[in-house]
Amino acid sequence: MLIELLTDKYPGMRFWLTQRLTALVMAVYLVLVILLFVIVQPKDFDAWRAFVAPIWFKLATILFFASVSTHAWLGVRDVLRDYVFHQGLRAYLQIVVDVLLVFYFVWLSFILWNI
Amino acid sequence: MKKNQPKNRPKNLNLFTIRLPINAVVSILHRVSGVALFLVLPLLLLAFQASVKSPESFATLANLCNAWWLKLMLIGLSWAFFHHFFAGIRHLLQDVHWMTSLQKARFSSRVVLWLVGASVLIFSVSMW
Repeated sequence: MLIELLTDKYPGMRFWLTQRLTALVMAVYLVLVILLFVIVQPKDFDAWRAFVAPIWFKLATILFFASVSTHAWLGVRDVLRDYVFHQGLRAYLQIVVDVLLVFYFVWLSFILWNI
Repeated sequence: MKKNQPKNRPKNLNLFTIRLPINAVVSILHRVSGVALFLVLPLLLLAFQASVKSPESFATLANLCNAWWLKLMLIGLSWAFFHHFFAGIRHLLQDVHWMTSLQKARFSSRVVLWLVGASVLIFSVSMW
């Protein structure tokens, strides 16, 4: 039944499911990272660099931020559809948001790459 | 809209005279906090970049975070995060049909607000 809901017959269901799956990814990442942060308590620059340097941390963070951008894309999309009634303005704002989110993702990848 | 409906049906959308039920409060705050988190994303990325770039930029950021006004803003941001987090988990649980009766939904709304309050308090105290 779930599979049928994800076909072209119900296009909105994919967005719905994506919003929930990305939420789960973010929740798991945040709980783990916050716990780790509270346990390790990196006090200075060197400790903080050591905290974020491992490759698994970088990969997890990239996955996390991919979820953040997808989740934000769908969330802002819903907000724009609810409150911005002028079609042209809405489309324009949506493009601005999309470009920003892609830029943020590239930016974060760049930051992590340079650690 | 049907043709035979009068155009001047009474409607009341004055937000100052509508008393939102607690579930609606948690729901609209979930939206507000989500938009806030989206708007603050570039600042978070800037802060993260400064924190890992060099010892100097790390020190600048640490100094900046000692300012009282920035601490207040961080508390506000922590509210947005915790509310979006806990209200979001509540929505996920409702998606799997957990606590969806009106009475239980009101109860879980109160739980969310208490969890958010406690989390913001713990964050504020340990940060200050």
